[in-house]
Amino acid sequence: MQDAVGKFVLLVPAFAGSALIILILTFLWYEATPIFLAPQGGPSIVIQPIWDPNRDLYGIALFILGSFICTFLAIAMAVPLGIGAAVFLSEFCPPRIRTSLRMIVEMMAAIPSIVYGLWAYIVMVPWIKNSFAPAVQSNPLTAWMPWFQGSTNGLSVLAGGTILAIMLLPTVVAVSDDALRSVPSSYREASLALGATKTETAVKIVVSAAIPGIGAAIVLSLGRAVGETMAVLMVTGNSLQIPFTLLDPAYVMTSIITNQLGYAFVFPLWRSALFAVAFVLLMMSVSFTVIAKWFVKWGMKTRGLV
Amino acid sequence: MMTARTHQIEVYDLSTWFGPKAVLKNITCHFSDNAVTAIMGPSGCGKSTFLRTINRLNDMIGNFRMKGKILLEGEDIYGPQANVYELRRKIGMVFQRPNPFPMSIRDNVKYGPRLHGVKDDNELDPIVEKSLKRAALWDEVKDGLDEPAPNLSGGQQQRLCIARALSVDPPVLLMDEPVSSLDPISAQKIENLIVELKKDYTIIMVTHNVQQAFRVSDQAAFLYLGELIEFDKTRRIAEAPADERTEAFITGRIG
Ligand SMILES: Nc1ncnc2c1ncn2[C@@H]1O[C@H](COP(=O)(O)OP(=O)(O)OP(=O)(O)O)[C@@H](O)[C@H]1O
Ligand SMILES: [Mg+2]
Repeated sequence: MQDAVGKFVLLVPAFAGSALIILILTFLWYEATPIFLAPQGGPSIVIQPIWDPNRDLYGIALFILGSFICTFLAIAMAVPLGIGAAVFLSEFCPPRIRTSLRMIVEMMAAIPSIVYGLWAYIVMVPWIKNSFAPAVQSNPLTAWMPWFQGSTNGLSVLAGGTILAIMLLPTVVAVSDDALRSVPSSYREASLALGATKTETAVKIVVSAAIPGIGAAIVLSLGRAVGETMAVLMVTGNSLQIPFTLLDPAYVMTSIITNQLGYAFVFPLWRSALFAVAFVLLMMSVSFTVIAKWFVKWGMKTRGLV
Repeated sequence: MMTARTHQIEVYDLSTWFGPKAVLKNITCHFSDNAVTAIMGPSGCGKSTFLRTINRLNDMIGNFRMKGKILLEGEDIYGPQANVYELRRKIGMVFQRPNPFPMSIRDNVKYGPRLHGVKDDNELDPIVEKSLKRAALWDEVKDGLDEPAPNLSGGQQQRLCIARALSVDPPVLLMDEPVSSLDPISAQKIENLIVELKKDYTIIMVTHNVQQAFRVSDQAAFLYLGELIEFDKTRRIAEAPADERTEAFITGRIG
């Protein structure tokens, strides 16, 4: 009897949670339907690059591409750095320093994204324009690289990816550190007792055992990265063009919604197309979550941890 | 002056501390080659600490200190020339709880040889087979070498850990209560295995269980509050303990 009541009480929030997700999905789908059904739109808008509501062109591929590039850049920077930092924290750092470093990491995670954006706009963007771009373009070692070509005002995918990486870093560090520390010390001892160094043990045993947890953290941070708005909006230049190099500006999905929703009511299809962008965004987040779950399952299974 | 080496492992006047706390006190003993030496004693008397001092696993613990000498094949393992990684290759260890790595059975056994420079699968595969056969596990796992090791039963896991320790050909094997977490049948298998292995290895085994020590070992040590009370042939200790504390322990009055 008691149990039934308890079950029911817990069922309510669980049900409310899933109902909310379904409700949001339905709402987005409902708002996006017009553009997916209209002759000017259709499902092919996700691969069409030209966005010009005045000419009834509603291709959203540019935004998807921009988001992908910024996210990819962010992950490529944040993941190796973050895992490296986590390995240092969990395996090599003296306990006293560790506590304060962990506190700094957690504080970094709590900074609002507008603050990161402001800093990037005031400091990083001018730095890319005045120092970074001239430096790589004049250095014969890097000047030939196709991804460093073109003139820039600093507002670029590089700026967007970097600020995203900085914002993701604390999460990647904290989650990876937790995953590494939950690896039983009996594995470490077994490895050391076979004559492994501390480094070999950290890399070949501890990281390998923590991969499911770390991997899940990465995939979930992918979701956060594509959905991040303010900071990216401020530094990517919001320009309707395909970014061919790291120094080119881009337009990401969250930015187009934020920038245009205010006056998109002019044409119903315009408004609907923005909801289509949001719908794609949500689908991406959902699939990242599902992939993360699969990944953990697979990792646990191949390691015999379930 | 040259003195002929008499034993693989010799301990001279060994004392250890964790911070201010003295754990082992002035221990001197020689472990016989190709024999099983059982270390007995009540809980907390320093048995594990003794084993972990022999392969320098206590080095990791910040407040650990030691005095005295431990010789492996005549070389001081805490001496300035000592190479701790090579030392640990020569002194294998099996722990109380089976701790196979969370990877396949094959990779568990390959791990050690790979660390020490064997890269080629043509060399590694025979090592895997030989080690698993020595640990009396081969027949049970030969068709599932790529299965995750943690899926094995507890007893199989412990034999895999023995195979993993043997994979780098250590002349000495340390075992810290290797069967105490296992069911009686698995424990029996591993006891038989230990008797088999002593033909080729010098084995030092910690045990709580007096009967097991008497069944398996050739030499026995009795530790009490960090002191080595008695160290002799197992048969002699079993028949006529020289110290009354040893007698009290083996008759079950302390411990
Ligand atoms: N890392 C450590 N730091 C501080 N003290 C320790 C540490 N490891 C062991 N000790 C202390 O050293 C003493 C001996 O411990 P040890 O583990 O060697 O005992 P043991 O004989 O193996 O006991 P058991 O039979 O319960 O395994 C104990 O008093 C223990 O509290
Ligand atoms: Mg112990």
